[in-house]
Amino acid sequence: MARKRFHGLKRPRIRQDFSKETLYNLSRLITPGAANRTFFQQKWTAKSMARAYHNPYVREGQWTRMFDRRLPAVVSMSHQYLAKYDGSEMALGRGMGLEKDARQREETLRGEGPDGLEDYDVSSQVLRKRDGRVEKTPYMHMTFHPLERRLDTAIWRALFSSSTKQARQFVVHGWVKVNGKKMVYPGYQLNPGDMFSVDPERVMFATGARKSKKGSPVSDQEAEDRRMERNAAKSNAAARNSEVEEGLEEVDEDEDSDAGAATLESDEDREAMTTRPEDEQDARKAMKNLVLRAKRILEDSKRKLSGKRQQELRSFAQSVRKTMAKHRPSSDPTSVPESAEGGVADFETALAEIMTKIPSDSIPTQSTSAAQSDATAAASSNPQMQQPEKTDEYNAAKDAALLSQALDRARENPIDVSKPYATPWQPRAFMSAFAFIPRYLEVNQNVCSAVYLRHPVARPGLAEVPTPFGGEVMGLAFNWYLRRR
Amino acid sequence: MPPRISSSRLSQPQTCQCFRTRPCEPPSSRQFHASARHEVTHLRRDMYAWLKGPGKVFRKPLRGSTNYLSAYDKQGNLFRAKKDDRGTRNRDEVKEVAENEETASRRDLEDESLTDEDRSARAEQREVARNTRTAEDEETEARGGVPKERTTDMRPYPLNHMFRSQPVLSEELREQLYIQVAVNEYDLASVAASFGVDIRRVAAAVRLKTIEKQWEAEGKPLAKPYSTAILAMLPTTPFKPDTNKSITPHEPINDLPVHPHTRQQIFYPASESRQFTREDAAKVFSSKLLPADKRIPLPMLVDLEKWKLEGLDRQQRTERQVAKDTEAREEAEEQARKRAEWEKRTQRVVKGRRWDFKFQDISVDKVGKDGRGNEAVGYRYGMPHVDRKRGVVKIPTSVA
Repeated sequence: MARKRFHGLKRPRIRQDFSKETLYNLSRLITPGAANRTFFQQKWTAKSMARAYHNPYVREGQWTRMFDRRLPAVVSMSHQYLAKYDGSEMALGRGMGLEKDARQREETLRGEGPDGLEDYDVSSQVLRKRDGRVEKTPYMHMTFHPLERRLDTAIWRALFSSSTKQARQFVVHGWVKVNGKKMVYPGYQLNPGDMFSVDPERVMFATGARKSKKGSPVSDQEAEDRRMERNAAKSNAAARNSEVEEGLEEVDEDEDSDAGAATLESDEDREAMTTRPEDEQDARKAMKNLVLRAKRILEDSKRKLSGKRQQELRSFAQSVRKTMAKHRPSSDPTSVPESAEGGVADFETALAEIMTKIPSDSIPTQSTSAAQSDATAAASSNPQMQQPEKTDEYNAAKDAALLSQALDRARENPIDVSKPYATPWQPRAFMSAFAFIPRYLEVNQNVCSAVYLRHPVARPGLAEVPTPFGGEVMGLAFNWYLRRR
Repeated sequence: MPPRISSSRLSQPQTCQCFRTRPCEPPSSRQFHASARHEVTHLRRDMYAWLKGPGKVFRKPLRGSTNYLSAYDKQGNLFRAKKDDRGTRNRDEVKEVAENEETASRRDLEDESLTDEDRSARAEQREVARNTRTAEDEETEARGGVPKERTTDMRPYPLNHMFRSQPVLSEELREQLYIQVAVNEYDLASVAASFGVDIRRVAAAVRLKTIEKQWEAEGKPLAKPYSTAILAMLPTTPFKPDTNKSITPHEPINDLPVHPHTRQQIFYPASESRQFTREDAAKVFSSKLLPADKRIPLPMLVDLEKWKLEGLDRQQRTERQVAKDTEAREEAEEQARKRAEWEKRTQRVVKGRRWDFKFQDISVDKVGKDGRGNEAVGYRYGMPHVDRKRGVVKIPTSVA
């Protein structure tokens, strides 16, 4: 018998992953109708839908043993209320005619709740909806809470893998540690306070965009976009040709007007400006190119910068980032060819020079927020009104900051063909629609580790077990797993 | 005899009752092969049509915002981008704040009724207001002019109204928590209370941050691009030190677990004149159950509030708190001392080459009547092992 499709469209199931099929199925999911169906049938459908999402790798018998009809919940208390009342005011009015009717209750004191929620009735300690009804605790949504304790599910919930299946694989293959020790059982039940960590390279692979080809760092998404663009360009090439020519003429005129700043001294310079450094294959050449450009900026920074020059600088910063990323093999820093190293060193000296040209008090640094706010204040007040030297300094400082930021970014996120994911790293397609971290986990993405703080709980108006189904389906599924069905 | 199935149902073959089938136009020209595969390809074509149409917005993250299904209508348009009236509402405020610092300070100087202190205070206020505004501006700019998400936009699963994506700690807030706990050495409870973060979360955030710092010191590469991308996709609780509202409470800090004993409904008659408090109610549910005041994670806050209601001033409250803290510390020390004393009395330590051996007298009677006593030690004869039995979980239950 042929195996059933995991992401079928004919009999679709919502799965725990970031795939486009799941997203599409989510967008057309509805609560199944109850008309013309027996209670048993309704329950069957509900539980099969719910189980297809909630870890179908756990066998049914295993799950029925894990199932617990006692579902956890909390109520958030306000310490102001607890201090003010001892609880006896709740009993008031039952026989003394003090009971309020609904309209009066509407007008009662509505203060800030413990969660910063507006509709919090301080006098009776309950959350209320807009229409005055009490928010109920969604117990039924907690049906599958024991499965959230499993290591593989927790890894997926912490956004360390693209699906529970993949998380399971990571665990089995030994990429996961619990409290610093290797754990190879995906079914390990996390205890409150357990810290689990996944190998960062695995995480980047799981959540990053895929490569289009083995030998190229470009993501499949980008490759497709480029193909589309090329096709579009081909189709209306003739129409665009004339436009482009016009545009070029304009550019030329602009350059003439800006000649004071942008005249090119030598052929070498011209070559450096025309060839994009990120396209250069030879690292040495690219670096030389960059240094030249940096020197030009240095000269420019003495003069007043026009808007066009600023634009150019910005594009330059971008090219710096790309080039640095391209020619920096991140896997092994010792194998850096000397030429490239020298290039980087050269470049960095140039950068340092730029920094020295700028008065130190106007350099915005990231560490001191005060300086940064100074700079932003200067930016917000009209720069044209100030003295030209001052604007120039300010611009130069901004450029320098921009450059160093670009360099940092390139160091962190380099282009590297040897990686199993597309570089520079970017999140995989459709991930953002699934990106959330439930409150029972505390995640630090930098070290790809997370702490399982506590078991998931329900609270008025909110259930912490993420599930795509509504209350009816979950209620029916809960009913299915109760002993007598 | 009339047909059993209505013709309307015959025209559209049902695939699954729990999924909406998209309305499809009839194909313009007849396909060459009208085979059984046709239905499947049609479904798949629908999917790709959706992914290229309304589903296109989910392909890449929305700048500076979350990007969940419920934030969009069926055509793939943002609900909140449609009706945006917030921009016009507070334009006046913006004008007021935008007033130049110089003119404001000059006006203050001209005003004779103000003292120097007043003036400096006012200048500070203006400074804070300006900072707040720049922060707000930056936020809006980061989102590309799209208004902030509403609560209904935060549901990743449109059918589940009871689940929404809740904010996580931002990088700045994590750093701040680390500074407060690890550098300034404040206790976890007061940091949790002042930042509005669950006490367990504070501990976990500091623990993770410590590891991060360790990695940095070792020169181990951090997953920085991953981190920035993920935090940009998630809602975060900000920490803005120089603004009006520097601390945003992250979550409710005093969660009272629903105790199983309190799930029953009890009819308990009490006289009207009786002051029936929470403590009494807890006693009714179970004789050992504590009242809510003592079961919440931070009972200290209730005490502080009570003293405030009593009319004590700030200094007195601090004194009392210090006294209480000292008392608690002394009690803990006393217990530790007792424990050490007990160990010294009962345990004999023999130093080995690598390990210390500890000997302690035990009683064989501890196994109890059935030989399975909880406190008992050692191998119990005649007790079958269950560790290889089918259906018994063999994976570890805890990692130290």
